[in-house]
Amino acid sequence: MVLINLTGITTEAWTHLEDDMMPGADTRVAAPLARLTEEAEGFFAAVEAVGAVVSTDADYRSLAPLANKLSFVVIDFPAFGDGRGFSLAVRLRKDLGFTGEIRATGPVIPDQAIHLMRSGFDTVEVEDKREAAFKAALKRYSVFYQSDYTGRTALTHARHAVQERRPEQQRKAS
Amino acid sequence: MYAYDDYDHALVNARVAEFRDQVNRRLSGELTEEEFRPLRLMNGVYLQLHAYMLRVAVPYGTLSADQLRKLAHIARKYDKGYGHFTTRQNIQFNWPKLVDVPDILDELADVEMHAIQTSGNCIRNVTTDQFAGAAADEVADPRPYAELIRQWSTFHPEFTFLPRKFKIAITGAGADRAAVKWHDIGLVLKKNDAGEIGFAVIVGGGMGRTPVIGKTIRDFLPEADLLSYLEAILRVYNEQGRRDNKYKARIKILVDALGAEEYARLTEEEWQAIRHHPVDVPAEEVARIHAFFKAPPLPVLSDDVPTVDAFAEKNFLFAAWLKNNVSAHKVPGHVNITISLKPHGGIPGDASHSQMDLVAALADRYSQGEVRVSHEQNLILPHVAKKDLPAIWADLDEAGLGTANAGLLTDVIACPGLDYCALANARSIPLAQSISARFDDIKRLMDIGPLKIKISGCINSCGHHHAGHIGILGVDRKGEESYQLLLGGSGAEDASKAAILGPGFDEAGIVDAVEKVVAVYLGEREDGEEFLSTYRRLGPDIFKEAVYGTH
Repeated sequence: MVLINLTGITTEAWTHLEDDMMPGADTRVAAPLARLTEEAEGFFAAVEAVGAVVSTDADYRSLAPLANKLSFVVIDFPAFGDGRGFSLAVRLRKDLGFTGEIRATGPVIPDQAIHLMRSGFDTVEVEDKREAAFKAALKRYSVFYQSDYTGRTALTHARHAVQERRPEQQRKAS
Repeated sequence: MYAYDDYDHALVNARVAEFRDQVNRRLSGELTEEEFRPLRLMNGVYLQLHAYMLRVAVPYGTLSADQLRKLAHIARKYDKGYGHFTTRQNIQFNWPKLVDVPDILDELADVEMHAIQTSGNCIRNVTTDQFAGAAADEVADPRPYAELIRQWSTFHPEFTFLPRKFKIAITGAGADRAAVKWHDIGLVLKKNDAGEIGFAVIVGGGMGRTPVIGKTIRDFLPEADLLSYLEAILRVYNEQGRRDNKYKARIKILVDALGAEEYARLTEEEWQAIRHHPVDVPAEEVARIHAFFKAPPLPVLSDDVPTVDAFAEKNFLFAAWLKNNVSAHKVPGHVNITISLKPHGGIPGDASHSQMDLVAALADRYSQGEVRVSHEQNLILPHVAKKDLPAIWADLDEAGLGTANAGLLTDVIACPGLDYCALANARSIPLAQSISARFDDIKRLMDIGPLKIKISGCINSCGHHHAGHIGILGVDRKGEESYQLLLGGSGAEDASKAAILGPGFDEAGIVDAVEKVVAVYLGEREDGEEFLSTYRRLGPDIFKEAVYGTH
């Protein structure tokens, strides 16, 4: 797998804890949200950086009590068409004020790269063979009709703020 | 009409380049059909029974003459010389080669058109009243709002992978010609007591296996709040809509499960949290878009045009066309013309390249260069001076476009059916042809009066049979095509669901059954009573007895 960085965030590797594995000597760990809720002490006290792994069907409110303790959140897509993941990232940014890394995992497709970034994701894990397609997809579009959670302004606003600018100048390095 | 700026062009051009790359990767074998499928579907390319089909968006059914000429050119150059206008005000080309599709999209981009979001589980082309901006009974022009929604919904980062497709319709008139109550979201423009513009918001309508008439969740939404409110509705749906069963994934199922009041509450709660955030566009942008839809500079003329009356007196077919296909315009002395794409014995919604060219030329000469597509699969010339009607009719009639049947029994909506569609159980087009051939008599049709027949070749209901005064549903019955008869539906402001009358028929049988239903109506109607009113007054039994001979 390859990690695509959508936003230029600084990210470091972490250990993904399966089942009942405990952090041990790891300083950065990811674990299912349920474990973090039930065994909070074993994680937050013991480890430098803790991330929650959730599926797209998670209710964002279940993350609220932990939001300010989590360093990152991994949203795992069971299928690329499961668009709940996009709203979940939006909720994390918009309603929980989460500023840590949000990562997408699962069978997402290159054509979703920009949507992921614009919904608040920072990184996405992809199969090696898809790396080039993901990177190409990120460069495809430079203007957008919607404001989004990366702080970009919608065209509908930009048109009136900087009318002299041309689309190619609006492109943000990705 | 809306005109693209550099940004709009950049977006559409980027999309064409992206799709060209995807097609090349598919043709080279780098992408399998399975991998390519979601990509082509996001660009309106379907794999039908015999070939790829390209569905091109006609945003809110509005075309310039130049755009229509381009569609004619595409039909000529890349297809078999015709296109098919759909119930979503779009056009489909049935025979393009995959390798040509990027070139077609390039040509479309030249005239500010595209196939973006004409398929897939995203927000589809927004539809509206075909007479928008021209109808005499309009509160406000819905097109500027439809364009706002078009932009907001295009490549929406959060709402491109919804549980299921999502259709929004908007009307600006009391008479609902856009079937708003049958859409995932229906918007009705209205004025409040202070004279301010806003919308009644209806959610959860839809056809398919589970026909549902939408419910109003807000009586008056101020116009400035439109996009944030839509975003709230969509967020609730994206999060909570079912994804385990595609037949239960539309918003209508969620609204039904939660109840309309709860859906309204959830929407309101989310809307209050995001209201006035950048999702709502600045007033300058709203003004910019409105400016594109200024009323054309039509002179006020007299509604009395003796030359037209004289021509009508000696030409029955013109007189009939005048009565059925011509409706009132905002500006005195002007009219809207419905060009019927339902010639008797023909294919509903099909237009040849030469017919498209002719309509484009007529639009340039007589209708401010504007054409509309109606959800009833006809074309409209929206701004015509009444005095020009005889000349226009003569040209249309010569090209097979003069059928005087708008709104009458042979103005049939039909889906492509088993002649094209991979989902269909039965053919729709030949049935529509049989019906219009059986009733090929304008005098008889006018005596019968307004009667909407809608035919779907399967339960997905693309032919809107649930909303037909007479609805016909094609089903597969032990390997045979069979047709069910439904009565009493309406897609208008008095929306209602049609009910199945009884057992199905074969093709000949269903045409006979329609004729029997019409005979009951003619025998039972009271003075001036239209078919739907008679059916509602009498109920189904008398029709059932006539059709099935039961006692």
